[in-house]
Amino acid sequence: MNDQKADTSQEPVSTLDRLREQGVSRRDFLKFCTGVAVALGLPLGMGEAIAEAVANQKRPPVLWLSAQECTGCTESLLRSNHPTFEKLILELISLEYHETLLAGCGKQAEDWRVKSMKENKGRYILVVDGSIPVKDNGIYCKIGGKTAQSLLEEMGAQAAAVIAIGSCASWGGIPSADPNPTGATSAHEVLKMKGITTPVVNIPGCPPNPYNFLSTVLHLLTFRKLPELDEQARPKFAYGRLIHENCERRPHFDSGRFAVQFGDEGHRKGYCLYKLGCKGPETFANCPSILYNDVGAGAWPVGTGHPCFGCTEKGVGFTVPLHYPARPKYITPPTFFTEAYPGKPEVAPGTKALAAGVAGAVIGAAGAAMLTGLGKKDDENKDKEE
Amino acid sequence: MAKRITIDPITRIEGHLRIDCEIEGGSVTNAWASGQMWRGIETILKGRDPREAWIFTQRFCGV
Ligand code: SF4
Repeated sequence: MNDQKADTSQEPVSTLDRLREQGVSRRDFLKFCTGVAVALGLPLGMGEAIAEAVANQKRPPVLWLSAQECTGCTESLLRSNHPTFEKLILELISLEYHETLLAGCGKQAEDWRVKSMKENKGRYILVVDGSIPVKDNGIYCKIGGKTAQSLLEEMGAQAAAVIAIGSCASWGGIPSADPNPTGATSAHEVLKMKGITTPVVNIPGCPPNPYNFLSTVLHLLTFRKLPELDEQARPKFAYGRLIHENCERRPHFDSGRFAVQFGDEGHRKGYCLYKLGCKGPETFANCPSILYNDVGAGAWPVGTGHPCFGCTEKGVGFTVPLHYPARPKYITPPTFFTEAYPGKPEVAPGTKALAAGVAGAVIGAAGAAMLTGLGKKDDENKDKEE
Repeated sequence: MAKRITIDPITRIEGHLRIDCEIEGGSVTNAWASGQMWRGIETILKGRDPREAWIFTQRFCGV
């Protein structure tokens, strides 16, 4: 970490040069940025704008605060199968402090945190994973003798923006499940209670898809502002649609073909998992379209035959019993019925994603009114928060 | 006189660990390891449908 810091203080080795040293070509980098532009729902040409913005600026300092977490968020970020992904994430930002990744420990680690906060005051990004226990004065999570609550207040107040990664930091997640023994609270709530107004973006998921996190960071770097957020401070590009709207099993739902038990004929045939308790109809996330680990089609919970349990959604994940049927939010036509190139393993996953993205763009151009119809209704979300 | 050293946080591991040790005459004479974070997952599990216990227990540790 110390080496990285020394690196940023002297001007300027461009990001592109650094990536070249890592064996990432300009072409690969552009391809990556274009992928991010698609994920963000931006026109394809924006990939170059992102590449330019990112390549020509100093890496932004990032401090990472872990509270009541299991490190799953960090793991999903670091173990993404995309060959250059971890290099990019480590080379794009200057990771100043992260308990699990820091070389020094004890006093050394805490001194570095304080020094880095002071040097980067007002311009660092604070990433928070894990919920913050507030019961009994926050004693259920301490780092270097300080409670996570006091650390979040201190670090959040001086940050340019806070990114809450994972469901725990976004809305409380698993530690906040009934009876919430430690008073586990989201980062957003803790800052609000203290009157701290630093902008917060929530990337829920257990764990969240790393690309949703990375796209948010790149948006911040390129446009110097957070992406468009919904009323729960989640980026709309990732959490704007119900899982049920983009699920590849949706035609089975619409035709009334369901798996009723694990291993029954319907389950083996890949029918809809609604009757096994799938929470896709009330959970907002892009899992079916962005998938996991770059291994191709089907790499997401429903794709493997397990019902979605609503991990991204406050009031659903860890709250509604797993095999209890979902309460569908609203009935809308699916955006597409099958993947773009069914049964063609030779078509690269990237091309499939691209085709899906283009299809989305076409729908967007054809009917803004239709998309408005798909938007979440405010009053419904209020109900959900209660 | 025994000297006491506290190392907190222990980094490069999952979770929040703290080590305290007492040192006398150049060797450690006593030491304590303590987890600095508690979520109460055992308490959360009580009374739930056993078929969903894995959702919670699986998340003790994400490494
Ligand atoms: S209920 Fe679940 S499995 Fe069925 S279509 Fe909706 S999201 Fe897919």
